[in-house]
Amino acid sequence: MRFDEVVLAIMKAVDGQRTVSSPYHLIKGKKSGQTIQDIGYFKLHPYFAVLPKLDKQDYLASIDRLQAQGFLIPNDNKVQLHGSAFALEIPPAPLNGWKYRGNENRFFSRLSLVVQTMSNFMQGQKRFDPVVTDETVQAWAKAYLKRIDFRSSAVQKAFKNQLENSLALAKTSEVHKAILMERLSGCGVGGLTWDQLAMEHGLLPIDVKIAAVEALHAWLDVLEGMEYPLLAGMLEGIIQQSALTESAKRTQNLSERGFSLQQIAELRQLKTSTIEDHFVEMAMNDPAFSSAPFMDEQLFQSIHHISKELKTMRLRDIKERLPEASYFQIRLALAMRGGFT
Amino acid sequence: MNLEKLLYDTYGYTEFRPGQKQVIEQVLAGRDVLALLPTGMGKSLCYQLPGKILPGAIVIVSPLLSLMQDQVAQLKKMGEKSVIAINSFMKPEDRERVWNTLGTYKFIFIAPEMLVQPYALGKLKALGISLLVADEAHCISQWGFDFRPDYLRIAEVLPKLGNPQTLALTATATDKVTDEIKRYLKLVDPFVYSHPMDRKNISYDIRKFDNDSDKLEELLNVVTTYGGPGIIYAGTRRKSQELAERILALGIRAAFYHGGMEQQDRIFVQQQFAHKELEWVCATNAFGMGVHIPDIRHVIHFQLPSSIEGYVQEVGRAGRDSLPSLATLLYAVGDERLVESLIMDDLPEKHEIELIYERGEEAKQLVEQGMIRETAYRIISYWRERLPLEGTLNQIEQLKKEKQRQADSIRRLVHTSGCIRQHISRSFDQENLEIPPNCCSFHGIDYSLFKDLQSELKASPKGSWKERLEVLLPI
Repeated sequence: MRFDEVVLAIMKAVDGQRTVSSPYHLIKGKKSGQTIQDIGYFKLHPYFAVLPKLDKQDYLASIDRLQAQGFLIPNDNKVQLHGSAFALEIPPAPLNGWKYRGNENRFFSRLSLVVQTMSNFMQGQKRFDPVVTDETVQAWAKAYLKRIDFRSSAVQKAFKNQLENSLALAKTSEVHKAILMERLSGCGVGGLTWDQLAMEHGLLPIDVKIAAVEALHAWLDVLEGMEYPLLAGMLEGIIQQSALTESAKRTQNLSERGFSLQQIAELRQLKTSTIEDHFVEMAMNDPAFSSAPFMDEQLFQSIHHISKELKTMRLRDIKERLPEASYFQIRLALAMRGGFT
Repeated sequence: MNLEKLLYDTYGYTEFRPGQKQVIEQVLAGRDVLALLPTGMGKSLCYQLPGKILPGAIVIVSPLLSLMQDQVAQLKKMGEKSVIAINSFMKPEDRERVWNTLGTYKFIFIAPEMLVQPYALGKLKALGISLLVADEAHCISQWGFDFRPDYLRIAEVLPKLGNPQTLALTATATDKVTDEIKRYLKLVDPFVYSHPMDRKNISYDIRKFDNDSDKLEELLNVVTTYGGPGIIYAGTRRKSQELAERILALGIRAAFYHGGMEQQDRIFVQQQFAHKELEWVCATNAFGMGVHIPDIRHVIHFQLPSSIEGYVQEVGRAGRDSLPSLATLLYAVGDERLVESLIMDDLPEKHEIELIYERGEEAKQLVEQGMIRETAYRIISYWRERLPLEGTLNQIEQLKKEKQRQADSIRRLVHTSGCIRQHISRSFDQENLEIPPNCCSFHGIDYSLFKDLQSELKASPKGSWKERLEVLLPI
């Protein structure tokens, strides 16, 4: 998937209902209520936080390209796509941003150090400049290497086999896998910069970055199966057990202990609106979430009914037809995937 | 004490590099020392080895975060484990942990702004400091090309630390700067080691052109004729990118490097250069620190540097293996203009000074709003605590004159009709009468010498991901 395709895929989902900068926040993984709830509304899970360090200039350049190609119609208020954009087939990609949340980069930093260390030791080099300078990652890699007894050639062989076999199974193209491997360094071999990779593969630097993320997500899906213990050992803390943000998790704990929304806001010294965001997040992620404390069934059904009828997720449009519902109730009802519980 | 044996037992080296032993002996004798050693001459060993003998901690004050990180990495690479760096960018919980275990570290790197905090001072004082090292000591002098007012704070904390024995290290300093270092650091009857600035194996070549396109053509001609490894200093980020593209188009392996790249990419370029996967790195002056390559054959300046000190530092990255190396400065009429604007960009302007005096602490917000530049803010807020407005305006005026003097000296270097080596030596108050063979373009250079010295380039692995993996993990 190219970067422009990522942007376009998001825009197709939010067309007419969100601003042109909303895909930017989503791709960067902004943890605001709006962004988080849009993921659920518009089913944008694959694209959340796929490029946490995305530069605004790179995003604007993509917008320029989409406009120049006629897919996007310039509009300051909202995303307005041309019919041709909908006709365009966007190939499916193994991206799973909601699950990995940018943590895949931590996995790759660990892997980079481990591979670099093994590569050097295999070839008799015991001193080298570490390719990752982050001390937390360095400490982690050191402990890991010691634990697996990395100097043993049997371990080195097993490590390489597991790496090769698991990556072979990853459901992504050979080019993407090549790009990912070219980001690794070894004895006498430096990793390639994004610009160098872009030139080699005839792509834009931003496309190469997305390709690497795709390859990582596809690979991590394989590694999660735990059939490759040496690599699975590197997943420690990478895959989030709960889909909730840290703050929402705390709200959830309090809610489970019986505190009301208002009480939680007071206890946590946070604005009510923030706690509302957390409940929307919980509604999105928890199939067993109950909306009963917040509205009756009739209101819940009306919100869904109007949303379908108007073919919109825009809160304001629904509110106009249903003035008795609060914005929070509308957001909550829309966030729930199932029926009223 | 057999220092040679200690050197071998500790780090595996069989001999000292020039100056190291004299400096270490004096440090061990308990004297304050000021050592002027050119870059790449192993300055850090001057405190590393005493650290093996002296009972207390070695505290190294380092002006730049990146420099500090690089030195810590180098020390660790040499097998030194009890090393720590403390700076204001650390997470509070990490810093807390470090403060509580400070006694377990032998080498403590600290940023000047941390040093003045009472809490930090108390911790350091309780520790027992054997030696205080002021690294890049020229930063303390406002006559230096790299003046950092933060650094003056070292002088203020020395008495609070019980005036520990001090070692001042620098690569470049004129007499004026040396005097200021001694005065500010209150060095008592110091032993001064001054290594000759001159690097005899470097040939200075200056080539002048009437316009930019001729200059560019010459650069492309030079990189085709001579091999690397070489650095091309381009002046700006954009230019470094542009030049790398032009050279790559000739089928010569080059990459660009500047501070705007993400850190991982910068490390990759350094590695590729060290591994001889690249011939040329087109860079801004951000490139250099962290580059420890002995056989750089060629340093090219595509833009004028803003001072002779900066020029000498950049050129000094060539030929650390003592083999003949070439320093080429390419100049086109009008190149001074960029230098002028870079210099003026660095200095606080009158309206900024007045604003900072008016607003005091609130002025920090003006930095965020983009009304005052950060460098200006740092310089002025230092002076604001010490001088009335008039005094500071006067200080800055003098600083401006000094910067202009430095720019003038570069201009004179380009237009000198005499020996380039002597011109440089004189700017460092060193008379240099011996003219080595291939001295400079004035005395004549035998260019064929450099054409023969091309290094072997390694083929970089291309192909499928499995082939790449095979190269990385050949087992």
